[in-house]
Amino acid sequence: MRVRGWLAAGLLGPVLALTAALYVVPLGVYLVNGFHRFKDGRILRVWTLDTYAAFLTDPFSYKIVSTSLLLAGIVTALALLMGYPLAYALHTRVRSARARGVLAVVLFCPLMTSVVVRTYGWLILLANQGLVNTTLLRLRLIDEPVRLLFNMQGVVISLTHIMLPFAILPIYSVLGRLDPSLKEAARDLGAGPWAAFWRVTLPLTLPGVASGGVICFTLALSAFVTPQLLGGGRVQVLPLTVYNSTVEINWPEGAVTSLALLALSILAVWAVNRVLRRLPTVA
Amino acid sequence: MHPGRGRDALLRTALTLGVGFILLPLGIVVLYSFSSVAYGIFPPPGLSLRWYAHLLDQPAFGRAFLRSLGIAVAATGLALATGVPAALVLVRGHFPGRDPLQAFLLSPIVMPKIVLGVGWFILFARLGIQGGVLPLIFAHTIVVLPFVISIVAANLVGLDPALEEAAQDLGAPRRTVVWRIVLPQIRSGLIVSALLALLVSFDQVESSIFLTRGENNTLPIEMFLYMEKWQDPTIAALSALLILFAFILVVGALVVARGAADLRRILPR
Repeated sequence: MRVRGWLAAGLLGPVLALTAALYVVPLGVYLVNGFHRFKDGRILRVWTLDTYAAFLTDPFSYKIVSTSLLLAGIVTALALLMGYPLAYALHTRVRSARARGVLAVVLFCPLMTSVVVRTYGWLILLANQGLVNTTLLRLRLIDEPVRLLFNMQGVVISLTHIMLPFAILPIYSVLGRLDPSLKEAARDLGAGPWAAFWRVTLPLTLPGVASGGVICFTLALSAFVTPQLLGGGRVQVLPLTVYNSTVEINWPEGAVTSLALLALSILAVWAVNRVLRRLPTVA
Repeated sequence: MHPGRGRDALLRTALTLGVGFILLPLGIVVLYSFSSVAYGIFPPPGLSLRWYAHLLDQPAFGRAFLRSLGIAVAATGLALATGVPAALVLVRGHFPGRDPLQAFLLSPIVMPKIVLGVGWFILFARLGIQGGVLPLIFAHTIVVLPFVISIVAANLVGLDPALEEAAQDLGAPRRTVVWRIVLPQIRSGLIVSALLALLVSFDQVESSIFLTRGENNTLPIEMFLYMEKWQDPTIAALSALLILFAFILVVGALVVARGAADLRRILPR
């Protein structure tokens, strides 16, 4: 069925009206505040770049940006390092369709439970007398409980858990579309199992790694619940600054911080898209 | 020794450890919901149902659950009503600017939700629409819309246009072609997208935290605010019930959608 002209316009009308009114307008109305000034608890509707200048000259903003990038980077790396072997094992070592279905449900069930619930789970696990510390103490790997809550470690562990399904899903899907004869050809030509993996399978699945990575990175960069509940005020990231500025009615500062967050997300997506275009693809 | 056995064992260990890691926080929440004490100590010194009883004493959670459910259904309905026609145009249409339009319609996925949340807060405050569920329905619709569009579009791409042309050649009007030929073929895609939209809407915190003011708290917000103040296993009891609810929903979805193949289409590649 061909869709064009008035028909296309009619079908697109509702979605365009909706996104214009509820997506473009609110972003505009908010971000324009970055060009206003906040003084004595009030927003002055003057046009100025002062708020941007203040953000760019304050060393604290660079600290927040670097903490955010560090957190998102570590979480993405961990999620991919854990997710790849999981996706690979699921693809190559689970033969029966039933077992694969059960494992798929297990791997993706975190997505079905609220971020608040999962964060609460880690709050219990990582406590001083929680399962992780108790186990480490019993194994005599440590002499006293390690502080895993209300600092960077706890946020990293919990966020990695939250991002893991987003890393597994794209890698698993690319593995499924991989032609098995390519790997067999490599083996027939004398490549060992490791060489076949490193030289054939891994490069061909890099698009999945890249798209999983960009999803993890952008989501981790804008994560709010986990740093707020498990960071104990010690993990100052951009979304928390946006939240705090808004609570203090300092919309100008919030808008500038939001734009920084937005710019970093877009930059990450753009960079990965550039890399993706150069990668070999599964025909 | 068989040459592949070492790697085999390694991968199986990775799988076991990974599954353990994924299930651990969910399992511990269920265990602690039956704990006899308020503080987090492992193992819990005893078992009790007191936190479930405590949960029953807090009707705010029940009301928030129903409110979240209603918001999720309304937002999903609105997203399907606007997103399915849009996906049809994006797949079947040929016009300049189609790719940028698609990128724009999918862009809320990467947009930080807290930024959108403040935007809605300011906009709805200016418009005088505050409190109640309407701002939340609007906000969640924008959040779930890209998921609906990308899944439905991915399903439409696989359809054979010849079937639609045949129907049209036989005299079926366009409306009939859409309802009788196109939509039935993407039935499982529609179900998966609707379920994902329901789940995503049900899990909104950042986008909604500035739109709620106590009287209209959604369930995740109610839980988040409770957790900021107290950390007793009341939240564990509620979480255990939610995990059970999600489990029933997932198993139901898999039965309806017949297989996990459609899960692949959830995320854009």
